[in-house]
Amino acid sequence: MLDQTFSGGVVIANPYPVEQVKIIQAPLPNQVVLPLQQRIGAEAKPCVEVGDRVLTGQVIAKTQDQFCVPIHASISGTVMAIDKQIIPHKSGLKSTCIRIESDGQDEWVETKGCGSDFLHCDRQTLIDYVQRSGIVGLGGAGFPSHTKLNKATGCHTLIINGTECEPGVMCDDALMQHHPREVIRGVEILLHITGAKRAIIAIEDDKQEAYQSLLMFNHNDLISLAQLPTKYTSGAEKLLIKALLDIEIPSGGFAADKGILCQNVSSTKAIFDAVIDQRPLVSRIVTITGDALTPVNVEARLGTSFEHIISLTDVNQQAHDYRMGGMMMGIDIENTQMPICKITNCIFVNNRKPKQLAKECIRCNTCNTVCPIGLLPQQLYWHAKGENIEKCMDYHLFDCIECACCSYVCPSHIDLAGYFSFAKALHKKQATDQHKTDIARDRFEFREYRLERNKQERAQMMAEKKQALKDKMAKDKEQGQVQKDKIAQAMARVNKIKEKDA
Amino acid sequence: MHSTGLNTNQMMRQVIYALVLGVSASYVFFGWGVVIQILLGTIAALVVEATFVAMRGRQVLASISDGSAALTGILLAISIPAIAPWWVVVVGVAFAIIFGKQLYGGLGNNPFNPAMLGYAFLLISYPLQMTTWPVDFLSFSQVIDEVFNLVNFDGISGATRLDDVKTSLSLGSDIATLQVRSISQAWINIGFLVGGIYLLARKIIFWHIPVAVLSGILMMALLISIFDSQQHLPVQNHLILGGTMLGAFFIATDPVSASTTPKGRLIYGFLMGVLIVIIRAYGGYPDGIAFAVLLMNMMVPLIDQYTQPKVFGRS
Repeated sequence: MLDQTFSGGVVIANPYPVEQVKIIQAPLPNQVVLPLQQRIGAEAKPCVEVGDRVLTGQVIAKTQDQFCVPIHASISGTVMAIDKQIIPHKSGLKSTCIRIESDGQDEWVETKGCGSDFLHCDRQTLIDYVQRSGIVGLGGAGFPSHTKLNKATGCHTLIINGTECEPGVMCDDALMQHHPREVIRGVEILLHITGAKRAIIAIEDDKQEAYQSLLMFNHNDLISLAQLPTKYTSGAEKLLIKALLDIEIPSGGFAADKGILCQNVSSTKAIFDAVIDQRPLVSRIVTITGDALTPVNVEARLGTSFEHIISLTDVNQQAHDYRMGGMMMGIDIENTQMPICKITNCIFVNNRKPKQLAKECIRCNTCNTVCPIGLLPQQLYWHAKGENIEKCMDYHLFDCIECACCSYVCPSHIDLAGYFSFAKALHKKQATDQHKTDIARDRFEFREYRLERNKQERAQMMAEKKQALKDKMAKDKEQGQVQKDKIAQAMARVNKIKEKDA
Repeated sequence: MHSTGLNTNQMMRQVIYALVLGVSASYVFFGWGVVIQILLGTIAALVVEATFVAMRGRQVLASISDGSAALTGILLAISIPAIAPWWVVVVGVAFAIIFGKQLYGGLGNNPFNPAMLGYAFLLISYPLQMTTWPVDFLSFSQVIDEVFNLVNFDGISGATRLDDVKTSLSLGSDIATLQVRSISQAWINIGFLVGGIYLLARKIIFWHIPVAVLSGILMMALLISIFDSQQHLPVQNHLILGGTMLGAFFIATDPVSASTTPKGRLIYGFLMGVLIVIIRAYGGYPDGIAFAVLLMNMMVPLIDQYTQPKVFGRS
């Protein structure tokens, strides 16, 4: 058990604990909706057409850039549509999706990994497998795993993040309890890829069963297990590194700069599947919890609608509020027709309650004490509310990880993290606007300059021409005079001769 | 882990509850005047707050139910003499709420501690009424007569204790003989100290400010007693006379007008303690709490600017 930790954070027990963390296999859905937009990078490009028959695990959209992973069909069936659908995202905007209707066969595409002996495969081949299998960070961030692995050269320590610090979420806990062998093997694969000297699997101390099951299967000297105190935000990569290794990743820096690679425990299991069987990521475990039902963990195919999964529970008949992700950093959603995606770790179904109205900030300082980053949320709030982005930057707005610890403890129920998210968006908008204004001004100034230059050039040209003409005329005149003189002289000579003759 | 689990309204109410012990001690020594003043102060605060919030077009009920106005009224009522005429507390509270709070945009926006602003206003405007305390327990009818100016008694009132001691000292009295009569003040201060410890335990206030204020007072009092012991109070008397504990735990800790960073709060409190003793020792007013608080309020933006905590990942 680790003593050291980071400052701040809040201790929140799982509000809806269950006795046994089981995993229910969800029945095949009738249809799946798979968004082409990944968390970062460009939208994937479909490589199937409406009406095509696809098999489970078949690539249906290809990557456009290095950040992306391909998109696989999660069931076998027919492509019914490629159109805009609502996806689970904060913006509430629609995105292009591929809709597949199931044929009920669940026929898999043929895949071949490198088998249980992965040691003969080289680093790049393995990373290739990871990318081709569509693996991203399954903890909620959705950052592509192969990008991290490619960057992790000179990595000495591998951290497997099994903290799952968001209260209520249990999917990683369930995974560790039920698939310890795959997790340990996955860590071994990662050790092989990165060449790291050691791996630490970090687990919070409220997940004793997961810890014990991993301990039982761990026979590798390079892999150690660490228990952290149950405290929210310990799953945040930089804070986890601080707690485990007492290394502080500089603001704006990456873990890779210090030779550390973090991978989520579910991603690690997915990497095992990808490398050993080259089985693409087509399903994930989702926790369904909240006060409207008995919490369960469901393994469901990606693209299954929220409604389909929620219908597997004993959800009551009241009006509900839905939230995707954890209770702290998740997002409220309105529409349960949305598909689950790779980052959907949890769905909260709560009985609808009247919302707490925010009161004035009395600068009580509570938020300052819980901020794990050491920011001053109340000062930031003051400036964010006044839309004074410059001042927000003075208070390090962009160091905020939006963990919402401040909002959680605020006695006035102010959604502080929401204000910071807003301020960040405002800063980006102002920066783009400023950029546009700069371009427009530059263009205008250049036009003015060009017109002025043309005018001057023309004037100069005219002046030069005029001068040339003048010179020519003068020259002509001179030449004319010379001619006249010559004629006169000739005449004079002729006259002289004439006079002589006479 | 630091959350009290209370909302803003509940926190304000807790502060009011924590005042009970000190107020009870005050009642024991000064009588019904204490209660009457608190009633007057609270009613005046709620009426003025409601009127101004309504004029500003905000929600009246939400505003007066948050308890902040009542708290301002109570704090001011505790600070003024128990036999002050009724209009003193009413005028003071009205000034505090209007000029100390509403004109800045209501709760959370005021740069100064409203109660202390009201107190300073009263002290400057009505010095006589503000420094005349009862010397003994007064019955309900006596207080009614006195507060509402119905009958004037002789011999029930004297100067504020700190002022009294200062005057006597300058006239050459012995410190030892003066200490006996300070027993009431000591009990009242202990009452507020216990209330303050309750607030600390409930995590409604943080330790930084009270500890810093008390160490500032101790430090400065010690310095003065070393270099200039004849004319001034001994160190321990600074802690038990006047509004020391009330000031350190209930007034300096007003979150809205105090410094907001951990280091800043230490500086804020310490300098306030130093100022309190300087004003008491060398100033023209009996107690220094109100002026020290207001002066330090003015310095908060400066202190906050230079005491930002270290941000994770930045050096």
